[in-house]
Amino acid sequence: MTISETHVGRSYPPTPPYRISRAKIAEFASALGDANPAYSGVTPVAPPTFAVVISSQAWGSLFDDPELGLALHRTVHGDQRFTWTRPLREGDDVTAVLTIEKVRNRGMADMVTVRVDLSTLAGEHVCSATSTFLHSHPTEGAVA
Amino acid sequence: MTATPAIAAAVGDQLPVLEVAITRGGAVRYAGASTDFNPIHWSDTAARAIGLDGVIVHGMWTMGTALRVVTDWVGDPGRVVDYFVRFSRPVKVPDTADGVVVRFSGKVTQVVEGVATVALEATCGDDKVLAAAKVEVRVD
Repeated sequence: MTISETHVGRSYPPTPPYRISRAKIAEFASALGDANPAYSGVTPVAPPTFAVVISSQAWGSLFDDPELGLALHRTVHGDQRFTWTRPLREGDDVTAVLTIEKVRNRGMADMVTVRVDLSTLAGEHVCSATSTFLHSHPTEGAVA
Repeated sequence: MTATPAIAAAVGDQLPVLEVAITRGGAVRYAGASTDFNPIHWSDTAARAIGLDGVIVHGMWTMGTALRVVTDWVGDPGRVVDYFVRFSRPVKVPDTADGVVVRFSGKVTQVVEGVATVALEATCGDDKVLAAAKVEVRVD
């Protein structure tokens, strides 16, 4: 199977809750070399792009869907948007729901745009992470 | 909207330039922190298998580091409301002690109703590694 416009609107079940910890915030900020005091102290928030740690867990449902025929190793991250309602904070339990927003078939490649909505277990929306992936088709005769 | 004082922002303001070196060790550190263990970010063999010259850093490292231009300016990262980038060129990371330097800069292009729009640039050598990068940040 191949992904097509007919899959636009498809959503997947929420990912298991991800508990944001002080240690993980510190590790992520350090990997960005970012000493902003907001990421430490009594009530740390996560660096804004920490959202990808959780949204990327939802990408799995896309690559695991046999109807779409997408292979991670033939996929390139083309663009990325985040829209935040509020910062992610230590102690948040966050789940991610992926929805296919746009599919364009272009010759030997597909451009697939997905939106991942991050919400707390209490149902509060925190961030939407929208990604476009460029997926190359397998070369003719090659094993997918 | 926020408890902290307003940020002075005017169209045309240039934000301080940030230069950050990324090494193989730095890419591995980002892999662990982000849980993106794609081997093209630490193995030349894996990178060459998909047609790259060698190891490249995660696009999300570049996106995350570029945002420091804005959060260093406003202080509170909770002021950032929207952020978009296109990954235009990969950042190749040589297996050397010093790695490679990426240069980040930003310019205020709009201020409307307490929200400033900042256009970001990220370059590595002659390559623009991010395109159309834009941040919306509360400055009221």
